[in-house]
Amino acid sequence: MRKISVLTIGLLFSLLLFSTCKKDPGEGTVELIFEHEVNGQDLVLNEFLYTCEAGYEFSVIRLKYYISNFVLTRDDGTEYRLDKVHYRELGVDATRTLEMPDVPAGTYTSLSFIYGLDQETNVPGGLENTTTNINMEWPMPPGYHYMKFEGKYKIPGTGEVKAYNTHTGPTGGNQNFIQISLPLHGLEIDDNSWDITLVMDLNEWYQNPNTYDFEFFGPMIMENQNAQAALKANGADVFSVESMEVMELSIIC
Amino acid sequence: MAFVRCNEEEIPPGPVYDPTPLALDYPDNFPILDIPSDNPTTVEGVLLGRMLYYDPILHRDSAQACATCHLQALSFSSPGNIIPHINLGWSTAFLWNGKVQGSLEKIMTFESEEFFQTKLSRLERHPDYPGYFFKAFGSEDISYEHIGKALAQFERTLISGSSKYDLYLRPDLPVFLSDEEFLGFDIFFTEKGDCFHCHGGILFTDNLFHNNGLDATPGDGLFEITADPEDIGRYKTPTLRNIELTAPYMHDSRYQTLEEVIDFYSEGLHQSPTVDPLMKNAHQGGIHLTAQEKGYLIAFLKTLTDTVYVNKPELSSPFF
Repeated sequence: MRKISVLTIGLLFSLLLFSTCKKDPGEGTVELIFEHEVNGQDLVLNEFLYTCEAGYEFSVIRLKYYISNFVLTRDDGTEYRLDKVHYRELGVDATRTLEMPDVPAGTYTSLSFIYGLDQETNVPGGLENTTTNINMEWPMPPGYHYMKFEGKYKIPGTGEVKAYNTHTGPTGGNQNFIQISLPLHGLEIDDNSWDITLVMDLNEWYQNPNTYDFEFFGPMIMENQNAQAALKANGADVFSVESMEVMELSIIC
Repeated sequence: MAFVRCNEEEIPPGPVYDPTPLALDYPDNFPILDIPSDNPTTVEGVLLGRMLYYDPILHRDSAQACATCHLQALSFSSPGNIIPHINLGWSTAFLWNGKVQGSLEKIMTFESEEFFQTKLSRLERHPDYPGYFFKAFGSEDISYEHIGKALAQFERTLISGSSKYDLYLRPDLPVFLSDEEFLGFDIFFTEKGDCFHCHGGILFTDNLFHNNGLDATPGDGLFEITADPEDIGRYKTPTLRNIELTAPYMHDSRYQTLEEVIDFYSEGLHQSPTVDPLMKNAHQGGIHLTAQEKGYLIAFLKTLTDTVYVNKPELSSPFF
């Protein structure tokens, strides 16, 4: 209902402003919304509600990550690029959305971005010197964590609780960032504003194609390229497009 | 000329409010320091804050000043669970349990109004303070808000970035770590010691709250403030800068030496429901360093000692 109302109000404003407001035709806005789930279930923090493919019950306690280098590709192959780094932290609402402004009109067929940071950005001082970015520093080679995904898991049988730190980043000359590309169906930009909700299924980090075993890789994986490579391969399909919605007609002059 | 002189004589006498902006000097590799727009740092504000910091007049009974417990020689701490005042401009949560969250202005106002219970009338009757408040804030009205702002301005100048480690990081200076210090650095900044996830970054604290596995039945910590059971045992990560000078250690001062602290992280961790996942060796009691590795780590920690900071004249008492 809320969305219908917004659409209606947007239409009315557009009609009102039509005679006085001349906007460059053919630009819109896309807002990316980053949400999370586990095995298709809603994400509930701190509880052992989930089971990974390797057979461990696990909880999710903390998740922080960077995504960057956003590209929308039109059906004619032309691209809209947003050269930006977005930091997402679970529980921090200000990091939930990213706006892609001034997207030219057209039919867009894919959204791609880098999970993590590219080689030029992932260097000391590559990101703004904020406390948030400094807390993401990665020691060797010096740069930033791409992701800090932390929680606990239980050993089957004994129930012993251990911690996992799924921290990803470069090591041993391997950059390990992930190029992600998602098909879009029906993104028609034309003086309008779209919300695209992307969902990360956290359990996908631990399956498909590699069954990621917390015990096998152990608690220290930052310099373990086998673990990083497994996570990189699994990470290719952690994101999916949950929904795309026109929110309102653009009325900005 | 006569005309000009005549005009000058017509300027009414009295104090003029014309504070001098003060740019805070901190190393380039420190995070950007946010300064509230309603409390810009000025020479006059910092001077007033410095006077108030060292003057027992702030205490309800004039029994102690901030500086009575926060000794510059000990990185503005003292034995007895006194949190060091160092680089607090970058903090947004204060006290071990995060009782005060927000700006330095907020915690400093709290310290005056609630902790010291300052009697404002004593400052108002003082022969000099009303003038200093006017110079700093354009008003002789003395309020907890202005006391908090002045103290916050002084606290923002308590910047430590001149340790041996800082000098080592500067490419223009021929300062090097010893072999032992470097081996300790390596333990600190890799998952071997895994100190850096909480005590990392150039500030050597993430300014967040963690349960570091001190006890199987942890103290309340942040839970006392939030009532969230997940916050049981979570205390603010202290900076490791000047850690050599700020014994005893932990929120309850249980460890007297750095050796005891390293022993704890090596072999003494306890599991509990809220122990932080970053304490990823808690299930086996710790990171299990050898005696030699512990020595390296302590050697590195001592490179974070900033003797410039603890001797800096601008941070010392303005009264003698």
